[in-house]
Amino acid sequence: MIEIRNLYKRYHNHHGSPWVLEDVSLTIPDGVSVGLLGRNGAGKTTLLRLIGGMDTPDRGEIVRESRVSWPIGLAGGFQGSMTGRQNVKFVARIHGADDEIDAIIDEVEAFADIGDAFDEPVKTYSSGMRSRLAFGLSLAFDFDVYLSDEATAVGDRAFKKKARQAFEARIGKASLIMVSHGESVLREFCQAGIVLEKGSARWYDDIDAAIAAYHQATDGRVPRVPVVPRTHAEAREGLNEANRDFAEAKAAFEAAGDDPDREAEDDTLRWRLEEAREAMLDARRHVQRLRTPAQKTSHRNSSNRKPPHKKRRP
Amino acid sequence: MAQLSLSRRPSRGPWRVTRSVWFAMFMREAISRTMADRMGWFWMLFEPLAIIAVMVSVRGLFLSGSEVAGADHVPWLVVGLMGYGLFRENMMRALGAIEANKGLFAYRQVKPVDTVLVRCFLEGALKSFLFLLFIGIGTLLQFDLMPARPLGVMLDWLSLWALGWGAGLTVSVLGDLVPEVGRVVRILNLPLLLLSGVILPVMYIPYPYREYLLYNPIVHGLESMRLSFFDGYHTLDGIDMTYLWFWALSLIALGLILHLRFAAKLKAE
Repeated sequence: MIEIRNLYKRYHNHHGSPWVLEDVSLTIPDGVSVGLLGRNGAGKTTLLRLIGGMDTPDRGEIVRESRVSWPIGLAGGFQGSMTGRQNVKFVARIHGADDEIDAIIDEVEAFADIGDAFDEPVKTYSSGMRSRLAFGLSLAFDFDVYLSDEATAVGDRAFKKKARQAFEARIGKASLIMVSHGESVLREFCQAGIVLEKGSARWYDDIDAAIAAYHQATDGRVPRVPVVPRTHAEAREGLNEANRDFAEAKAAFEAAGDDPDREAEDDTLRWRLEEAREAMLDARRHVQRLRTPAQKTSHRNSSNRKPPHKKRRP
Repeated sequence: MAQLSLSRRPSRGPWRVTRSVWFAMFMREAISRTMADRMGWFWMLFEPLAIIAVMVSVRGLFLSGSEVAGADHVPWLVVGLMGYGLFRENMMRALGAIEANKGLFAYRQVKPVDTVLVRCFLEGALKSFLFLLFIGIGTLLQFDLMPARPLGVMLDWLSLWALGWGAGLTVSVLGDLVPEVGRVVRILNLPLLLLSGVILPVMYIPYPYREYLLYNPIVHGLESMRLSFFDGYHTLDGIDMTYLWFWALSLIALGLILHLRFAAKLKAE
């Protein structure tokens, strides 16, 4: 259980220091995975850092009665001049591993799957390799509560799948507190939600309710709860809708342009685009699945006639 | 999956956690200090050697004929440089400790003060080893580098270490909160070297100014160490280790208080 009591936090800067979090009191029970929602700068990451003990509140306190991880996939805690193996050893030592140290190293090595680079200095790693290592490191310890800040978004497709499986294997034994703009990710992993708005936090027992409340507070868009279609016609309709959504999201994303202020991790529009794309792909898969055999052959013929330069997504 | 089963073990007390952190930090610092750099070991040895060689030749050129009363010149210089180096390196390494380990504060077990303490400990251990090595090599080369009163030398060495430790604890906080402090400390290095009687014997200072020299605690440490090292060495009156320890303990206390007070601020990016 994690108890947050009358939490206040602000960062001092030159033009006034407004509260990022103001009098937040929450209790996160054991075994419940929670998604943190809120617009950019609402304090999601701040709250996560406070829960993880990386930052101290200005007022109030956080009582951790369970073992809380550092944010999963955090790559900042590596020393560049030391090898992956040495870095893993360091973290294992901090957490009091004495005899298990070799087992932990073996496991991280296997999970990160970066081959001989494991014995090269971390500064020679690509960002993908870094996050693989960081992710493997987080999963080598069985915390009660894992913190995640857009973690499942790292790596290539195969690694993402692996990470997701590792997460799913952990559900039931451990819970998750995650910050993500990806609504499907939140729906998949979380049961409850916290919506941060203007310094205060509201708890929702149901993640769908939290997502709905978040949209109501921000852009007024009504979130679409995914339904599995049963007939081909339904599936086609769903696909049309998803295509429309995608076009809309893409237009919004492109209209925003290349503003340098747009933080890559924290870009709502980019996330909306990704979401729409995922939804579109899902819908397409449903259409394929529900097609009658006759339609399948006709489609294959039609797809043969397609010009070859048209790329299809894998 | 072979995991570290945290949930099955009893939760560790604060002292156990701190010990784990110190051990992990020490191994990490030791490796990055000695192995990470190309020829790290070589430079650690060669750097003081080169400084000593330069100083000896400078004195041979410009100040020939002037002798230090009661001690050979090279051993006298070696003791001074090593002692001052111990203090300075402790202070300077600590100055960068927090900045260099910012990433580690993501693991909430690691506190800013740990990085400083571990660095100072490692630095002192390395310097002690080097000093022993120099004494050994110097003796083999027939310099008179055998201390006359080894226990006294050890005590003085530890006192200078403590002084460096205190200075390191204090400036590590101040330097992180106010970056200019770090710059000022770096600038102060040279005058401090000259005012501590490392290169220029304190007895060369004109009589009226000697009492001001005695305000510098490093002078007390170095001259006391030389007194223990060389039988019949002459130095200033009023060398007093209590004065040095007054500084050392005050600085350590001040540094720890600052670390306690500003722990949250030092952790924040």
